[in-house]
Parts: sequence; C-alpha cells; structure tokens
Amino acid sequence: MTDVLLALVTAVTADAVRRKVVWVVVLFAGLLSFVAPSLPSYGVGVASAVYREVAIALMFVTALVVTVALAATRIPSEIERRTVFNVLARDVRRWHYLVATWSGLVVVVGVALLAFTVVAMVVGGVVYRELMWRLFQAAFAVWLEMGVIAAVTVGLSSAFGPVTNTVGALTFVFIGHSISGLLAPPSEHSAPRWVPSLEAFNVIAPVAHGSGYGVGYALSMLGLFIALSGLALVGASALLERRDL
Amino acid sequence: MTDETGSTTSAAVSIVSARKDYGRAAVGRPEAVSDVSIRVERATIHGLLGPNGAGKTTTLKMLLGLVRPSGGTFTLLGRDAHAPGARSNVGFLAEQPYFPMQLTASEVLRLYGRLARVPRDELAAQIPSLLERVGLEGRESTTLARFSRGMLQRLGLAQALLGEPELIILDEPASGLDPVGQRDVRNLMLELKASGTTVLLSSHQLSEVEAVCDEVTILDRGRVAARGDIDDLLNVAGQTSVRARGSGGLPESVRAIATDLAVDGDVMIFSIPDQAIRRVIDDLDDSGFKLVSVQPKRDSLEEYFARLLENPAPGGEVQS
Repeated sequence: MTDVLLALVTAVTADAVRRKVVWVVVLFAGLLSFVAPSLPSYGVGVASAVYREVAIALMFVTALVVTVALAATRIPSEIERRTVFNVLARDVRRWHYLVATWSGLVVVVGVALLAFTVVAMVVGGVVYRELMWRLFQAAFAVWLEMGVIAAVTVGLSSAFGPVTNTVGALTFVFIGHSISGLLAPPSEHSAPRWVPSLEAFNVIAPVAHGSGYGVGYALSMLGLFIALSGLALVGASALLERRDL
Repeated sequence: MTDETGSTTSAAVSIVSARKDYGRAAVGRPEAVSDVSIRVERATIHGLLGPNGAGKTTTLKMLLGLVRPSGGTFTLLGRDAHAPGARSNVGFLAEQPYFPMQLTASEVLRLYGRLARVPRDELAAQIPSLLERVGLEGRESTTLARFSRGMLQRLGLAQALLGEPELIILDEPASGLDPVGQRDVRNLMLELKASGTTVLLSSHQLSEVEAVCDEVTILDRGRVAARGDIDDLLNVAGQTSVRARGSGGLPESVRAIATDLAVDGDVMIFSIPDQAIRRVIDDLDDSGFKLVSVQPKRDSLEEYFARLLENPAPGGEVQS
C-alpha cells in the first residue's frame, strides 16, 4: 500500500509542479514583494513589520490561488479524460487515489510557498537589513491551512465540477475564517475554543508584529490540520466510492 | 462449479447476469446492461462487439470496478473481480487513454509499473523494451504534452503490458492509430495469445475482430445478441462458396442451383447447397471451367453484424 501511495504522490507532484499556473502565480507574488517596500506605511508602525504583514498576505493569496486552481480541477479533469481509469482499473483503492492526489497537491503548494518565502526574505533582507526567518513560521501556518482547503476542495471534486469546487472552496475559506465571530455569544468577541476555525492558522500578529509563535502553538495547528483534513478526506472517499466513473 | 454460461469458473473472465441500472440518472434507457453473461477462456482472444450504446464499455467498467454493478457476478482469473488483489495480474487499456500530460513517457510507465507492483529492477528493464515494442523507442524523456493521439494510444498499450499480466483488457486499442499501427496492434494481440496471455478486446473495427478473435460476444441494447466461436457464427450452414474461371455462362444445371452469383473478370463466384458439390464440380469440369476454390460459405463479420442488428431475435439472444 505504501508503495502505491508513494508512486501516486510522486506522479501527482511531478505533474502538478510543472504546471505553468503554479510558477506564474509565484512569479507575480514575487514581483509584488519587490514593490511592497515602496508602498507608503501610512504611519501604522515599523516599516519592516508592515512589509512582513504584506508578505504574509501575499503568501496566503498565492497559496490559495495555487491550491484552488490545482485541487478544484485535477480530479474532475482526470475523470473526464479517463486518466483515472488507468489507475483505478489496477489494484488501487479509490481512497488511495484521493489521499495521494491530496498529498501531491500539498507538496506542490509547499514548494510554491517555500519559493515565495525565500524571495520575500531576500527582499526583506536587502531592503531592511533584517533576517526575517519568522516568515517561515508564517509559511508553515499558511501551508497547513492550504492542506485543509485542498482536502475540502478535493472532497468536493469527488462529486462536482471545477466551478462548484472553486465556489465551494472559497466559501469554505470565508466561513472558516469568520465562523469564530459568527458563533460568538453576544457578550464575547469570539466563539468557544472548541469551535474549529481557520483563524487558528492566522499568525500575522505574532509573526509580523511580535516574536513568532512557540512549539505548542505549532503542534495545535498541526493537530487541527490533521483533524480537518482527515475529516474532509474520509467524506471525499465515501463520495468517490459511491460514484460511477 | 458452473455458471450461467454453462462453464466452470476457471475461465480468465467470467461475467454472469451482469446488470447496470442508472435509474433516474439515465440519459437513454435506464438499464444500460441487462443480464449479460460472458465467458473468456484462458489464452484466447475474445471480442466484445456492439453498436454505440450497446453496453460494452459499461460491462468492462463493471468488471474492473469503475462502475458499481446493479447485479451479477464478476470473476477475473478465478477470483472475485472486486476483491482486493484481484486485478493485480490484469492490464487494461481504456478507450482513448489520457495520462498526466506533464510527465514523460518513462515516468508514466514507472508510475503504472509501481501500481502493478512490478519490482523496481524489473521495471527499469521493462520500460525501454515495452516502448520499443509499441513503436515509441527513443521517446522515454518526451513529455506527454508533445505526444500525438496515436502515440498516447501506443503508450496506453505499453502500460497495459507492464508486469506481463495474464489477462489484458483492451477497449478500442486501434482507435487513433494509422493503418500500420492497427496492423501492429493486431500482431501484438496474436503474439500475446501465442505466449499464453488472454485478451478481451472491445472494438468497433470488425475486420480487426475477425482477424484475431477466437470467440465473440455481440451486445445490442444492453443484452447479449449473439456469442460463440467466430467460425461457427460466420459459416453459413449448408452452403458452399465456389470460385471458377471460364468463358461463357455457367452450365444450366449449375445455374439452376447457384445463388449469390458474382462475376469478377472471367471468375465466377457463387454459392451452392453442400449436397450438390460433387455434381457441380463435375458439370464445371465438363463445361471447360477451371476451379479456383471450393470452401464453406462464410459471411464477413460486417455482414453478420448488420444482419443480426437489423433482425434481432425475440428475447434478444442468438447463440451459435
């Protein structure tokens, strides 16, 4: 089973990482990070902190575009073009295919994030004479969030087409970030901590303006990533298992 | 142990009473496949024929677990086709196959080889030889985005052959190939059969099926319309085809019983009842005709197919 999963992950990664969309988006975000230091800071704080905030926002948008562009289209296109037949007609379970597809996409998003983070760090280092290593902490948090979004999008794509998947994924991102406020009791600012929220992956404050986050917080994000992704992939497997290809 | 096709379960493929009902989701008739039974003997080439929408691809998909059957039993190489591990020794070429287009030919074969559990060292040896076998030598490092339709088809054949499976299921293998490619595919199927591999071939190309298949199953509107040994299906019972060269008309005694008379230059081709062969040969000899051939009358598969579909038997099945 491991060899089958590894073979599929390798193939998905190799195929997806060579797609132009990934590198066009990263290149565009890289160019924006070059011009970011020339933006006015409007006196909102230390210029380098504002740059880090912009870099994290660019990181998030870049990763989101890459994640949704790949995850919303891959499975529907493989079913439509019958690519999936060559895989599933062999001794491969459908959940193997789903998990491997998701894993491959998560790896590619990780590579794209790494590339962008290196560019952002180099720009920050040259302009502000500061080693912004904490941007890697932000990249890690964004990467985990994209893993969850990829799992949900892959789950949707087990049953729907690219347009529905894209709308569904973006709706999930919106609700995922606002659910904490939506479910908050009138007297509180946010919902109880047990309500899962994508805001857990929002580390702009500690990374851009503070001293980063600790290992405990990293582990809690990892736990949320595993729980939400696992839930989405179990649902996706159930949907794909019932589908006639 | 026997199945509905009256056979033991040691066949390479056994499908018994397969049924697929799409219900309200159906575009055409709800039941795409109704009570289809197919048996494919080991080391033979079995053709699956039928017009568009006959249920061929749905039947193959049910066999391979791509579509959930509404009923029936499916066996591959003596095992339940949907049990884990049952398809490990089966190669499959889908109709007009497509692959991850950013991968190279050797990367694609490495992927499918690993899915087929071919050991890595064997895989490294098989990839170049398979590419050569399907006419793609020297293309190992070419990205599939640069492949033509025919080259993708050839690559599809190569991936179906990975790991030397005992059973190969080919859905329209000659689709997208030029005449030379089609001939190569025919020869490949015959080579596979000679080496003991079983081939289940679904095709629209009747000449291809007639040239290579030992047995055929013909589907029409989701049911088995005919099945059997291809010679038995195509030979016209009680009739012999005669070709004779000579000038002038046929002797009166021959003309009286000859049917389907055709003239090609000075060669006359006609059919006669089997019991009149001796007398017809004598009469042709006496009239100065030279016999070119005398053989059992045989329809082309195309003629048989057209006749069968124009006049389906009540109940939908004619067996040889």
